[in-house]
Amino acid sequence: MDNFQKKFIEEASDLIDRLEKVLLSIGKDNFDPNLIDEIFRIMHSLKGGGAMFGFTEISEITHDLESLYDKIRLENSPISNSLLNITLKSVDHLRNLLNINQANQTDIKENHESLKFLLSQEFSEKHENSLTKNNYLIPNTENNKDSKNSFLIYFSPCPEIFSDGTNPLYLVDELVKLGDTIILVQTQKIPNIDDISSDLCYVAWHIILSTNNSEEMINDVFIFLNKDCEAEIIKICAFDILKEDKIRNEIKELNKNPINKKEIELLLKNITPEYKKEEKVLAKMKSFKKEASILNIRVASEKIDLLMNMVSELVTTQASLGLYAENKKENKLLQISENIENLTRQLRDITFSISLIPIEHITTRFQRLVRDLSASFDKNIDLQIEGAETKLDKTLIEGLTEPLMHLIRNNIDHGIESPKERMKKNKPEQGKIYIRAYYSGVNVVIEIEDDGRGIMLDLVHKKAIEKGFIHASDVLSDKEILDLVFIPGFSTAQKVTDISGRGVGLDVVKQKIGAIRGEIEIESKPGIGTKVRIKLPITLSIIDGMLVSIDDENYIIPLNVVNKIHAIERSKLKKAYNNIITVDGDQVPFYDLRDEFEMDNDGPEISELVIVKYEDKRIGLVVDTVIGEYQAVLKSLGRLYRKQEIISGASILGDGTIALVLDSNKIINKFSSY
Amino acid sequence: MADLENKNIHSYLTFKLENELFAAHVSKVLNILELVKITKVPHSPDYMKGVINLRGSVLPVIDTRIKFGMDPIEFTPVTCILVLNVEIENEHIDVGALVDSVQEVIEIADTEIAPPPSIGAKYKSKFIEGMMKSKEEFIMLLDIDKVLSSDDIIDLKETINDNDNKTETELEETENTPTVNE
Repeated sequence: MDNFQKKFIEEASDLIDRLEKVLLSIGKDNFDPNLIDEIFRIMHSLKGGGAMFGFTEISEITHDLESLYDKIRLENSPISNSLLNITLKSVDHLRNLLNINQANQTDIKENHESLKFLLSQEFSEKHENSLTKNNYLIPNTENNKDSKNSFLIYFSPCPEIFSDGTNPLYLVDELVKLGDTIILVQTQKIPNIDDISSDLCYVAWHIILSTNNSEEMINDVFIFLNKDCEAEIIKICAFDILKEDKIRNEIKELNKNPINKKEIELLLKNITPEYKKEEKVLAKMKSFKKEASILNIRVASEKIDLLMNMVSELVTTQASLGLYAENKKENKLLQISENIENLTRQLRDITFSISLIPIEHITTRFQRLVRDLSASFDKNIDLQIEGAETKLDKTLIEGLTEPLMHLIRNNIDHGIESPKERMKKNKPEQGKIYIRAYYSGVNVVIEIEDDGRGIMLDLVHKKAIEKGFIHASDVLSDKEILDLVFIPGFSTAQKVTDISGRGVGLDVVKQKIGAIRGEIEIESKPGIGTKVRIKLPITLSIIDGMLVSIDDENYIIPLNVVNKIHAIERSKLKKAYNNIITVDGDQVPFYDLRDEFEMDNDGPEISELVIVKYEDKRIGLVVDTVIGEYQAVLKSLGRLYRKQEIISGASILGDGTIALVLDSNKIINKFSSY
Repeated sequence: MADLENKNIHSYLTFKLENELFAAHVSKVLNILELVKITKVPHSPDYMKGVINLRGSVLPVIDTRIKFGMDPIEFTPVTCILVLNVEIENEHIDVGALVDSVQEVIEIADTEIAPPPSIGAKYKSKFIEGMMKSKEEFIMLLDIDKVLSSDDIIDLKETINDNDNKTETELEETENTPTVNE
């Protein structure tokens, strides 16, 4: 496959993703002409690219789709459900077509033919409809029997156009081939002969074209133009303006003097006063041009990973520079080192923001999933997504897709009842699934909630006993029972369906979430619904931390949970009853990390109490001394330490020693549950 | 002739734990480090001595003596850390192993290697590729991958220390009793 094809495939898959997204939003709030335009634009690009790079099937399908949507656009008619279904099917098909190495070519062929048939059927239906209506396509004045339209095309290539290998005259020729034309050349930009550079283009054209081809055909001529070139297509009127000799002469007259656009437009307006209403300026090319300016660039994700690694290294190196500068006590050096620290921090933040992508990236897929699955289960389900703009590290997003998909399938299959059942229970016929994403401290929380039948606790209990996970005599709280569903091999589905109930389920979800350092919780009220909450760290690699020391060992506490630091006398702590101490009038439970880490000797008399806070929980951690703020590059302790609970990693300090990073959430959860 | 000989000769690095000689295949040994400060990781098994900074990455270090059921290592000027590359469940990881001293690299021909002892052995033969005799001393050739893969750590610990088994069952019982009572 050559490079261009690869590039096209990359671009086309983006376009197809966007197309799908637009289509699904149409499904929701029905008709918005802008959306149709968007669909139209995407299909157009696909068609053009497809034809150019040898994906004939793609351009065939998109061509048919394009004609369909062209009609819709002209008629301002809503998109029917059946049409939406066909379009979505076509989207899938387009995806398959892009995948050149697909194994089952015959399937694709069949699919292709059947889709083409469906599309043509839909098209003729539409056509009949439109015939009965009195619409634009069939002009009602005598003049327009030929159904020709007249356009004014202004084409001004950028001076450097030759360097692209484009000959503007070929484009003009192509226009000439489309119909009857008068071409007015604009030559006033041509400089003195001495100043002419042979590789620049100085001319522009006004072309008046009357043709029975559609406007899109004209657009096609300019589709591969560089963004600096100007091409504007204005529809003058819906009849052949060039049929009348008088007008022809008048236009030609204009050409004798240097002309400008305004004059031509004025003239044409005068000629066609009765069609003023239709003088809708369709500045199509203009909107094309806008999109062409580069707002985003694609970067291979390996490069971002590499950048992240380099930044991590830089942060570590900067730390040792800082340490060295401090020991040297040389002002100049200290100043430089401080500047570097600031720059490193900024660089780090920017690099992070690059690798953060919105959750929206995966939720679009879920819209589709819900739509398709609810149809196949004969259920009426609406998916609401809140906070799709919430951003997460891309590696997390990758790891999140599968478990979320699984959870949503569960909601559809087991959670939401059939419409009949819902009616009986006095619930609205349409079931709802919510996906909510929001920030909570250093974490991102994702909730998936449905208003379905909920989890039957007694059923889970019974099943757990059957499968031998618990004894019949065990007494469990509701929460404990719910947690049973995460045990491997547990599934309460009565029958195995296509998509769920094979006994591999929530345990895999839990494991996958755990793999990206997330936590999962489930809440359910029978008859009302189920809510699954997933808590994830925003990033995995560098955190702002507070460096503390305990018995000459350094530890890092994530800064975001640190609430306050108090100096405290150890003798006072010893006397404290039940490990609770009063600070600022508040009762705070505290833990001496020396005891917790099983160190035998006592710390200094004056120690520090670091109050950490998370959600509504507040506890104090006793450390020997607080050293200061520190940017910690998190390194994994490796698989030999994977059972380690309260340490989330290690970080290498400026002097080359290692500081362990305390996992604040785990610590708080662990200690606050006592 | 020389080629044939080369094929059957293996290089092993020998090291001492207490007074016994062990050897690891040189292909497994990446580096020999002098003793540096080891950062202890709280709440980890005894034989997991801690972590060190190995050129910017974090290297877990194990106390090989505890792992083989001996007394914990005592640091002396000749104590070393062997950086080993081991394969655990198809994953290559680096591990540091504390040893009392590093001896030498020896070349052993296939024919000199005796099969691992089976009966009455002090060490589980599963972890030993073979034995050889050199200068009146027995050297145990270790299968490093097996010694360090995580399951074996637990296995070994259980066989070394019967008390561990006991405490585990005791724990289970104590865990169950309150739930029944509730």
